[in-house]
Amino acid sequence: MPAVLTVDPRSGVPIYLQIIEQIKRSIALGILQAGEQLPTVKQLAVDLTVNPNTVARAYRDLERDEVIETAPGRGSFVRANGVTESPRVAAEIGGDALDVALREAKSVGLSRAEVGELFTAALQRWYGDLEK
Amino acid sequence: MSDMSIAITNLRKFYGHTAAVDGFSLEIPGASVFGLLGPNGAGKTTTFKCMLGMARQSSGEILYDGKPLVPAMFERIAYVPERSVLYDWMTVDEHVEMNRRAFANFEPARANELLATFNIDRRKRARTLSKGMKTAVMVALAFARNAEILVLDEPTGGLDPVNQRHVLSLMINEAAKGNSVLFSSHQIGQVERAAEHIAVMDRGRLVLQGLVDDLKADRKIVEGIFPDVTFTLDGIANDPHVARADRTERIVRLLVTADANAIAARLSAAGAVGVRVLDLNLEDIFLYAVSPATATTDIVAKESSS
Repeated sequence: MPAVLTVDPRSGVPIYLQIIEQIKRSIALGILQAGEQLPTVKQLAVDLTVNPNTVARAYRDLERDEVIETAPGRGSFVRANGVTESPRVAAEIGGDALDVALREAKSVGLSRAEVGELFTAALQRWYGDLEK
Repeated sequence: MSDMSIAITNLRKFYGHTAAVDGFSLEIPGASVFGLLGPNGAGKTTTFKCMLGMARQSSGEILYDGKPLVPAMFERIAYVPERSVLYDWMTVDEHVEMNRRAFANFEPARANELLATFNIDRRKRARTLSKGMKTAVMVALAFARNAEILVLDEPTGGLDPVNQRHVLSLMINEAAKGNSVLFSSHQIGQVERAAEHIAVMDRGRLVLQGLVDDLKADRKIVEGIFPDVTFTLDGIANDPHVARADRTERIVRLLVTADANAIAARLSAAGAVGVRVLDLNLEDIFLYAVSPATATTDIVAKESSS
């Protein structure tokens, strides 16, 4: 599992947010399954060469969001509902990306109608024709 | 596991009439990696020396878990100085032996294991080692001491990228064990990776401190482009979260310390198009902290524009 996690410390995005984002993405994609054990805080800190408290902060936020659960002395696990919620996590990831794109479009002065046209064209490109 | 915190209060150190450290206060939490940044001559090494009792401060105090430094503490603190303190005529093996005799908790086997990781030939005399190899020897000796506090002044100086990464991993391991690591480095990428907290010193003073992740989350550049040069900022530059405003022709760039999105919205409302919120990495944050406000672009006066 740690093999799928990487962080870019030089990015302006806080490292703990990078870890959260990647664990959520791994769950949405089914790379991490319900009940699967995550590496310990110490192990992941050593693997990524980042501060253990940074990893602990990411795990705390993931627990708060009910994505993972931690059993004292046993470790952290992907919650069972974490997987039934993978559509929700996927929607969240897609929604965030759309948000960024729309903010950019608005900031360069595109109108709602123009953005709509671009969106329809992009939808066509990535999803193909509407099913009958 | 020690989790020992260090409190530096109002530290001043004069050399003659020159203040190397000029009223510096800082809390360093236990069980963490703390990065001390600053340009050359900022006072980092002097601060370390005062902490370790190698220089006597002119005023101020340094407390370890509320108590001043006493000789009994020396066993619990390991130090890697910026310049080599190895004896030229002694071999690496002899340095290991010297440390074994000097420090009760020193583990020679651990030192030898670390020296092997750094590919150091222990039969060599210190005189024949390169700068990077000397750094590696001092790092290996320090991390074999089972100290609760490690003070490392440029612990990757002269090391190649592979060995630099070894040093970072050693620091991470110590923090995971509950020990405290305080280090300085000019390699900001390393600090960015390994440190949880940072402090930036400049000319003997503290100019910035915080959690690396929080500083990145809060500090942003908000950029707006106006349709023509005759725009006004409607007092946005006076917002307490705008630390700095640079204006060049139609472009305004604001360094904000919080609330980037709200400030971006105000910029839009003032008529800016192409409003962007840009992330800053630690190097950007560092440079903004230590560069005088008169940098490369025209500064907008921080009074109300109307």
